[in-house]
Amino acid sequence: MDIFTVALWIITAICFVVFLKKDKLKTLNSMKMARGLMKGMIGEIFAILLLIGLILTFVPPDTIKVLLGKSNVYISTAISALIGSITLIPAFVAFPLVGSLVDAGASLVPSAAFLTTLTMVGIVTFPLEKEEFGLKFTVTRNLLSFVFAIIIALVMGVII
Amino acid sequence: MKILKFLKGNKLLSVVILIYIVLFVVMPNKGQEAVKNSMYYVIEMLEIMPVVFILTSLLEAWVPRKVIYNSFGEDSGIKGSVLSFVIGSFSAGPIYAAFPVCKMLLKKGASIYNIIIILSAWAVIKVPMLINEVKFLGGEFMGIRWILTVTSIMLMAYIVNKIVKKNNIPIEVKDKFEEGSLKVNQNYCIGCGLCSKLIPEYFAVENKKAKCIKREVTEADKEKLEQIISKCPASAIKLDN
Repeated sequence: MDIFTVALWIITAICFVVFLKKDKLKTLNSMKMARGLMKGMIGEIFAILLLIGLILTFVPPDTIKVLLGKSNVYISTAISALIGSITLIPAFVAFPLVGSLVDAGASLVPSAAFLTTLTMVGIVTFPLEKEEFGLKFTVTRNLLSFVFAIIIALVMGVII
Repeated sequence: MKILKFLKGNKLLSVVILIYIVLFVVMPNKGQEAVKNSMYYVIEMLEIMPVVFILTSLLEAWVPRKVIYNSFGEDSGIKGSVLSFVIGSFSAGPIYAAFPVCKMLLKKGASIYNIIIILSAWAVIKVPMLINEVKFLGGEFMGIRWILTVTSIMLMAYIVNKIVKKNNIPIEVKDKFEEGSLKVNQNYCIGCGLCSKLIPEYFAVENKKAKCIKREVTEADKEKLEQIISKCPASAIKLDN
């Protein structure tokens, strides 16, 4: 375990003990929720993790570099942002997936675009959002989120 | 029967496992290589996953939502914006779980500016997600993306606030709840199972969504139910009086 993970466990443990002293029932109930959330997501998490193995075995790093590398960054960023908009996987499992692609040579720009649209733009949840907030709100929010996702990604490419 | 249920509930996992089985029969050495390639990420994930879920749930329970919920009005200023970021960043569940919460806040008079901040922060910059991002993509990547995202969210909130007016937003959605006095909106349920664990005589989780198993609420249970309803992270439970 790296220092970061260890530190996180320690901080969480301290929070847990402090909260437990303040309100035992509330804190134990929140642990029930943690278990429920994890149970609901574990299948998808393992599926993505096993998928990473398949990708790394069958897609050579050179191909990843060509498709998602620095050479055609604008096209790959636009496509990544589109894929992120229509995909509905928990952001939680997107990080190891994107991390593995970056380790294999993918550029950070399409990676950032994908991560941002994945969570902020929702084509699949569009009908739900429209029902609650109306067409104008939903279209404006999703379009702006898409545009800003690409801006964020491009600026990141300049900074890093 | 149980296997069928598992396959149905875990479609993606079933497909991936099937691919692995075929792979191990046809090209066993490639299969081993794929498992080996996955192992690094599986171990990393197992180290961090429990702590992220525990932290998410602790924050969800302990951020004083009810107090904050009244401070998102039109003239809430910087304090309102900051609190919007806080609520969004310390929540559980994907963006659609924020829809009923935000709808409720709009009814309480929250400004569109703050609603955009809550929705966007809920989606992209949740604290547990940032932790996962540091783990797999590094602190520099996370930090820069966080700063750029927060800036973008504020700009977006400003623009949407200019374009969309309150009267563009439907006031009361036609009731999509099923008949009966106690209801779970399955569109928004994130399947955390908290309700079914706290009061199993009324709720059960089926196919990763909570569902009412008893609709008639007795007077004695009412208070307890109302408390549980307020704990639902997606505000997806409703009780008709």
